[in-house]
Amino acid sequence: MNQKVKATGLLLIALALSLSPYSGSSSLAAAQTQKTESSMSEGDKQAIKLFESRVNEYMKLRNQVKGKLPKLSKDSTAAQIETYRKTFEETLRTARAGAKRGDVFNSSGSEYIRRTMKTEFDRQDKAEIRKVVFEAENKDVPMRVNYPYPESKELTEMPPTILLKLPQLPKEVKYRFVGRNMLLVDRDNNLIIDYMVDALP
Amino acid sequence: MKRLLFSLLILAFLFSNGLNTVSYSQTASGAKVAAGSNTAPKLVLPLKEGSLRFAVIGDTGTGTDKQRQLADVMVKYRTAFPYDFVLMMGDNIYGSESVQDFQKKFSDVYKALLDDKVKFYATLGNHDLAIQINYEPFNMNGKEYYRIKKNNVAFYSLNSNYMDKKQVQWLEDELAKDTSDWKVCFFHHPPYSSGGKHGSDKQLREVVEPIFLKYGVNMVLAGHEHFYERIKPQKGIYYFISGAGGKLRDGDIKDVSSLTDKGFDRDLSFMLFEVVGNQMYFQVISRTGETVDSGVLPNQRKKS
Repeated sequence: MNQKVKATGLLLIALALSLSPYSGSSSLAAAQTQKTESSMSEGDKQAIKLFESRVNEYMKLRNQVKGKLPKLSKDSTAAQIETYRKTFEETLRTARAGAKRGDVFNSSGSEYIRRTMKTEFDRQDKAEIRKVVFEAENKDVPMRVNYPYPESKELTEMPPTILLKLPQLPKEVKYRFVGRNMLLVDRDNNLIIDYMVDALP
Repeated sequence: MKRLLFSLLILAFLFSNGLNTVSYSQTASGAKVAAGSNTAPKLVLPLKEGSLRFAVIGDTGTGTDKQRQLADVMVKYRTAFPYDFVLMMGDNIYGSESVQDFQKKFSDVYKALLDDKVKFYATLGNHDLAIQINYEPFNMNGKEYYRIKKNNVAFYSLNSNYMDKKQVQWLEDELAKDTSDWKVCFFHHPPYSSGGKHGSDKQLREVVEPIFLKYGVNMVLAGHEHFYERIKPQKGIYYFISGAGGKLRDGDIKDVSSLTDKGFDRDLSFMLFEVVGNQMYFQVISRTGETVDSGVLPNQRKKS
């Protein structure tokens, strides 16, 4: 490559960088978190607080159940993992008998999440988010609270820009999309804790 | 104007540190070796004494004959190039995850390597139950994301299924204090890809790329796409996709992509790496034993 071409290339890259949102030094996560918290209304704060308290209630119960199971080591065999996962699932299902939709995704929390999604969709390239969410082959996953998410079904990648805006969850509980619906799933036993419909606009 | 000047300064810094010297040797042996044959491996790596050597596989967990054939080639190459560990790019177990599945799709396939004490370090793909983090042979130590250090290289395994605030914060904290010569991140979804089925994960990229740039990550390895692709360096970072360890999406690399430096989507493949000081050598090998790509990458952050 001659010097002139190289210099022109560098200038073009510099211009691109100067226009890029990445040229700032602070991370997007931190910036988004700050913005989210500062622009939140009292009503939204209350909604999130209630939602988080429901999640904590679930965590309390699941940890009680977990505490009665033999501990799963970080160096487990496949057999130990399978036994643990299935035992945990069955025991927790029994402990949560009667659980129904809306137990965790309370009305105001669900509304907050829907609005957050809509804001993100309006802000960003909708097609890109839809592509991430809808390309997963999981459309026929049954929406049933307290039933396991089928282990053979693909998991949707949670679009990070959306995830950074949602209320934080304990590491054992995950948001997960199935089409436009959003689920809460337990990481260690794959149980569908709760779900809300039409989370995506 | 300030941003423009700042960007020019960054570029000048990268330029002076040898980014323009990135060189690739576009080798392709041409001589196809039948899978399972006794033909000797054609190693193009330098095999320097004391170097760090490792392999990379992705999207492996099928339990098919082809996955096993590729594993046989990995074993064969290890006789010529004794690597100590293997990085797995996710989708470690497709479908159900019973004891038999772990055997058929992982431990039986790589038995020769496991018996020889080769360590595997996994990351989670979109087909993996998260409880895999407790599976001893995956060496995830009960964590969805983790860091390991090997010689002068730090490896970060990330959970790209779920890049939440906690993980982003952890990554920033770890990278900020990391003084390793090389920083390598590996995870399932590729920030850049020429795949027709998936393509670049722009959502993920929007969140992780600024962090990689800020803290000087050298190289990113991913899977998800069922082919091999070497991406043209993006903002000074090397990107590879190695997602054809067990599944193949034949012909999926878009011909018109401006991202591709080298692609291979005709057969399964794996990668070998050798780190010698400030040089990262790589070789990509197909199921038939053919070398489909190789080269050397200088450390962008170090003067040679």
